[in-house]
Amino acid sequence: MKLPSLFRRTPFRLTLLFLALFAAAASAVLAYVYFASAAEAQARAEADVRAETSVLTALYRTRGVDVLNQALVERVTKRSPYLYLLMRADGSKITGDLSVTERSPAGTANSPPSNVSPIENYRGGEQWATFRFTDTDAAGNVVRNQALGVQVTLSGGEMLLVAQDLGDTEKYLSRLTQALWAAMGMVLLLGAGGGLILSRNVERAMGRLNRVVTAVQEGDLKARVEVRRSGDELDELGAGLNAMLDRLQASMASIRHAGDAIAHDLRSPLTRMRAKLEVALIDAEAGKIDGVDALQLSLSEADELLKTFNTVLAIARLQAAAGRTPDPEKFDAGSLAADMAELYEPAAEDKGLEFSAEIETGLMIEANRPFLAQALANVIDNAIKYTPSGGAVMLRARRRSSGDIEFSITDTGPGVPDTDRDRVVERFVRLDNSRTEPGSGLGLSLVAAVLEAHGGRVQLDEGPGEYGGFGPGLRVALILPAAVA
Amino acid sequence: MRILVVEDDAEAATAMVRGLTEAGNDVVHAVDGAFGLLEAQKGGYDVYVVDRMMPRLDGIGMVETLRKDGDQTPVLFLSAMGEVEDRIVGLKAGGDDYLVKPYAFAELIARVDALARRRETGGVQTVLKVGDLEMNLIARTVHRGETEIDLQPREFQLLEFLMRHAGQSVTRTMLLEKVWEYHFDPQTNVIDVHISRLRAKIDKGFDRAMLQTVRGAGYRLEP
Repeated sequence: MKLPSLFRRTPFRLTLLFLALFAAAASAVLAYVYFASAAEAQARAEADVRAETSVLTALYRTRGVDVLNQALVERVTKRSPYLYLLMRADGSKITGDLSVTERSPAGTANSPPSNVSPIENYRGGEQWATFRFTDTDAAGNVVRNQALGVQVTLSGGEMLLVAQDLGDTEKYLSRLTQALWAAMGMVLLLGAGGGLILSRNVERAMGRLNRVVTAVQEGDLKARVEVRRSGDELDELGAGLNAMLDRLQASMASIRHAGDAIAHDLRSPLTRMRAKLEVALIDAEAGKIDGVDALQLSLSEADELLKTFNTVLAIARLQAAAGRTPDPEKFDAGSLAADMAELYEPAAEDKGLEFSAEIETGLMIEANRPFLAQALANVIDNAIKYTPSGGAVMLRARRRSSGDIEFSITDTGPGVPDTDRDRVVERFVRLDNSRTEPGSGLGLSLVAAVLEAHGGRVQLDEGPGEYGGFGPGLRVALILPAAVA
Repeated sequence: MRILVVEDDAEAATAMVRGLTEAGNDVVHAVDGAFGLLEAQKGGYDVYVVDRMMPRLDGIGMVETLRKDGDQTPVLFLSAMGEVEDRIVGLKAGGDDYLVKPYAFAELIARVDALARRRETGGVQTVLKVGDLEMNLIARTVHRGETEIDLQPREFQLLEFLMRHAGQSVTRTMLLEKVWEYHFDPQTNVIDVHISRLRAKIDKGFDRAMLQTVRGAGYRLEP
């Protein structure tokens, strides 16, 4: 069976559940209040009756049945709160405001009519009972109230019954019951109403969230939840959802951007390769070069392209790492610098450059060693490539006063004009005077990406100035935080 | 040499088998890790060339199983995954070398050669001899004939590697990886400069050049 939609809603269901639990708890409390009140009233009545009885029996003991009789008459006429009945030993009435009711015995038919008083099956001694009696209330209506009484046999054989009208207690209890029922009804009504309102509110809020989720599912990443600043958890959820969507949209944009960039980045090397292959084919056809040479040329072009591709991928991967170093290890930046100096020194000297290194040791960093080596290699390679013979290249590794670790490569080449320094780290940017040199234009972009992934930065400055007819030179600093000890 | 190629990409496998066969090897091809494992268990191979990503049983699983069985045949992993952690995983699983796709044939053949020959020169050597070139690993001295050759520490390491792989082509990348222990692209051929310095020391003034350049591959030290 399908429930009405309201019943399938979580808030409404919860409301119902809580109402049921509440009603059960309220019933228990009401029942307790009822029974406790009833028991209390009974106990009070019992004590009162007992006291009155003991007063009357004392009167009988000291002054005799006539005085008792007189006292009872007096009490009845003064409308005492008690009911009385004084009977002879045979059960006939002497005095009192209760009448002796003739009753056929409840038990066997031939037993003598012992039940002559309101107390049924009186067997002598002190016997308590509740019974109903007929009375007229203040308005003159006949009512049958309940009474609690005790019957005792007096020393002369007479029987005395003292009772208290429980009508007031009864009325009180019935009013109490009524009030309790009414309260319960109100609670249920208000609860159901509140649940409805609550469930409608929650549903409305959930509806807002759901609409956004559906919109996003259908591809609209710009959909956002309307946040009402009420500070409740649904608002919080909405704000969280919005933040998540913002992040998602940003990464989608950056992925798309990276994709576009890769496609764009590869177009020019592919175009270059195609052109070179075409030239090689023409040359081979014209017999200027042989087929093997042409193929070798193609292979090296393909290798270049692969290299470019790998670099573009590496940059994208580093940028996606968003400040988190991939596969970090702890090592001494000084020993890395020393290795790089040792590796590149012969190449620099072969070109007629003076190569020097000033390296501090104990520069512990937590970094990706291959990537950092690659970054240093790119910068050193650039320095060697762009510094004319007779110049100098210097590699330095030191701890800055801020505690950061700095690699710096200073050359005496033409340098990079101030205005171009930000630009050269962008992908495929090659300054005019470098176009004749081999290279992809990705070297410094990779360096920047590596440093960014390490929470560091690249800083380009002017070199030492005029040197051997060239200048002002370039100083590239790779700055990254030291490892936490 | 008997080489087992385990590679699921048919085209890549065909090219590899052809290249390795033409280099004078006896090559068997298995199409995935499970077949590779069966074939390897038959024994008699000098080198396993294993692709990392394969259906059924991948390269890592296959090599781990072989190593557990006590098979110490050298393994060259091929993988499109070239990150540092991938390399570490491969070497930890029992690989001896790791080559990232795409690779040049010369590189593959040189590395397979290096792995296969490594086994032959087992045992701790104190003196390496190639032709009239002699290297004392304890005294750290090098002689060619009667002439003592003075080498820088790195040149010594470079020559040691070349001597251990005498007669085989070694690529520039191999030298950077094995002698300098770095995995990166040095842009210009810095290795060439180091080689030419070494060459100047061991070949200059002798009638025969031992340190040869192998076109399209790298270098070879000829006895």
